[in-house]
Amino acid sequence: MIPHDIARGTGSRLRDAESQGLNATLAWSQLQLDAEAARVAEMQATAPLYGMPVAVKDNMVTTDLPTTCGSRILEGYLSPFESTATERLRAAGALIACKTNLDEFAMGSSTENSAFGRVKNPIDFDRVPGGSSGGSAALVAAGVVPAALGSETGGSVRQPASFCGVVGVKPTYGRVSRYGLVAFGSSLDCISVFGRTVADAAKVLGSISGHDPRDATSAPRAPLSGAVPHLDDLKGLRIGLPREYFPADLDAGVRAALDRTAATLQAHGAELCEVSLPHTKYAVPTYYIIAPAEAASNLARYDGVRYGLRKLEHGEGVGALYQQTRGAGFGPEVRRRILIGTYVLSAGYYDAYYRKAQAVRALLAADFRNAFAGGVDLLLTPTTPSPAFKAGEKADDPVAMYYSDIFVCGISLAGLPALSVPVGRSEGLPVGAQLIAPEFEEDRMLAVAQVLERALDGAAEVR
Amino acid sequence: MTAIGRNEVLHVARLAALEVPDAELPQLVEQMQRIVAMVDQLAEVEVAGAPPFLAGPAKAELRADVLAPEPLAKPPATFAPGFAGGFFAVPRHAAMEEE
Repeated sequence: MIPHDIARGTGSRLRDAESQGLNATLAWSQLQLDAEAARVAEMQATAPLYGMPVAVKDNMVTTDLPTTCGSRILEGYLSPFESTATERLRAAGALIACKTNLDEFAMGSSTENSAFGRVKNPIDFDRVPGGSSGGSAALVAAGVVPAALGSETGGSVRQPASFCGVVGVKPTYGRVSRYGLVAFGSSLDCISVFGRTVADAAKVLGSISGHDPRDATSAPRAPLSGAVPHLDDLKGLRIGLPREYFPADLDAGVRAALDRTAATLQAHGAELCEVSLPHTKYAVPTYYIIAPAEAASNLARYDGVRYGLRKLEHGEGVGALYQQTRGAGFGPEVRRRILIGTYVLSAGYYDAYYRKAQAVRALLAADFRNAFAGGVDLLLTPTTPSPAFKAGEKADDPVAMYYSDIFVCGISLAGLPALSVPVGRSEGLPVGAQLIAPEFEEDRMLAVAQVLERALDGAAEVR
Repeated sequence: MTAIGRNEVLHVARLAALEVPDAELPQLVEQMQRIVAMVDQLAEVEVAGAPPFLAGPAKAELRADVLAPEPLAKPPATFAPGFAGGFFAVPRHAAMEEE
């Protein structure tokens, strides 16, 4: 197909998704898509992503489409510079299809926190798509685009991938440049990828990975190839099942799907063994000290001075300007996290909370390191404790919402690569299996995920 | 480990330069209490001897220390809420006007 036709087809699918009320898109236009097509038409057709429409979470800055982060404080903001990830997507021949809806500033697990309304799960509109990259996940699941960029701070791609029945890949911290990714938790933030298939996700990840001198935390490594290494079987591979990730109260459908996944891995020659990650129960509390602390610092820049919303209706001076702009511009979850982050960093509490959490984070990372040092090549877990929950179900209970990320945020704290691959459905709702690899071993987990993808019908009912 | 109440929430909001509507305060205090109780679990973890944790590459490659303006697609005046004479403009404080 020629790029112009791809742009028209993508526009048509985006319009359909909008008219159905998915609410997954923020900024896009047919005019902009046509301009993307004209640019790509000038490129060699051998470019790795030639003609692939890719949606981009609206926390990566682009010079041709506004970047809002799902927040009133940045409504209408058009960045004066381009993120490395989107620059590399374009250079690889992709068309930026649209910016996608998200939990405000990527804070959330259900994409109900966007200032521009909640995103619906295309499998069941009454349920959440997961979050915070829910718009990107929903567009891939709805077949609007074959791949999309999301971002992870504590599982914001793997969890929605699981809820929507698509592939979600979080690379090693430092594998993809964050230049132009709006900062949330800088020691955790990681641009990640959704794909309709493992191959699509790997192709996009390959194109955006690699060192970038504009991001000091970017690892000085060559980009990933973009190809998934082919494995005929899994002989010689040892896969660990951490017992803490299979609790007695795990949802029955999730357990059935994971049992089927483990049996498939064994049937292909992999050796399975039980391992222990003893600090797992502390991952969520640790995350909810470190991430809000970093968010409180990173979001200090939204003050009504240099860009974004400005509000001053009473009082005077810059102090009043800051308070009113931030109070009016941020939604409830972002305000809550800024307050928690400020609290744990404040005088008298820093040692008890922030310093302690950093030490526990080291123990969590050591758990994974010890498991791999013990001869395990990969870890297999459920991605989430249950399939997608109903919209509004956890909206007033932030702690319950935070625990929906219990199986994903520990990996983010350890900086490891992990992915979610669909492995079946429970009462019609998708279930994802998570594969976790040692750092910079993305290819290993992608290869095993592709074996699962070929052997299992990810849309088959398992209960 | 600690109790967090209305006064603590208002104090932290001031530190964070964040206006909190009065109507939202009771629910916010209750939610903050539950979040703090959740993170208080870390008190039971023995961390003596925990190895240091550093996110990212052990050694960051730094750019040359050269002062050069970031190339922008458009000038600050086009996106700043207030911009005058080459500076970001903020509301003047009355006390400063008198000086």
